[in-house]
Amino acid sequence: MEYTWAGIVAVVLVIAVELLWFKTGLLRRLTFYVSWAIILFFMVLVDGWLTKLTAPIVLYNEEENTGIRFPWDIPVEDYLFGFALITLTMLLWERWAQRHPDDAASRRTTGPLIRRR
Amino acid sequence: MDVDRFQYLILMGLCLLITLPLEFLFGARVWRRPRRLVAAMAVPVAIFVAWDLIAIAREHWDFNPQYVTGWELPLNLPVEELSFFLVIPICSLLTLEAVRRVLDRD
Repeated sequence: MEYTWAGIVAVVLVIAVELLWFKTGLLRRLTFYVSWAIILFFMVLVDGWLTKLTAPIVLYNEEENTGIRFPWDIPVEDYLFGFALITLTMLLWERWAQRHPDDAASRRTTGPLIRRR
Repeated sequence: MDVDRFQYLILMGLCLLITLPLEFLFGARVWRRPRRLVAAMAVPVAIFVAWDLIAIAREHWDFNPQYVTGWELPLNLPVEELSFFLVIPICSLLTLEAVRRVLDRD
């Protein structure tokens, strides 16, 4: 079950890094959760294709995970792996903008100037 | 040429293609901010490539030779895996930025 534990540790670490160190606030924003709902949908499609047991691209050693696969043949550990990879990247993306406010502001030049909270 | 060997790479290419409109129709501005993109991705790519190499070495997972090219980078990292660690975060950032624009909030 090494993959299972590695996945759990990775998710905890990413969340801890945000709460104790980065403090970007991303995990408190609606944008984050709406984005994740969309990402999750496409993650299932892509990972479903990679892991389908009828013609698998990635082969898993079932001794190193729980063996629980959902939906289709996606090992549930893949969601932990994906969450850690994607959320860590998002947090660093946010952090960079917060440390370079001039550059972040340029994002708004083509959009509405009024900010809503 | 056996196209099946390119399944994994083609899948990653499709991910890039399908998310491209987020940049140009939804104004995500991820591809157009390369410095921020590199700053965001460098550390995760390094960490997850390392995780991948360890997982392969410890036999957590392997790849079906039928659907991968067999092209390997240093340390025997399959080229498909590096492409995954580059493509998936970019697609995710495009989604994040597109959603931010649509919701008009940060």
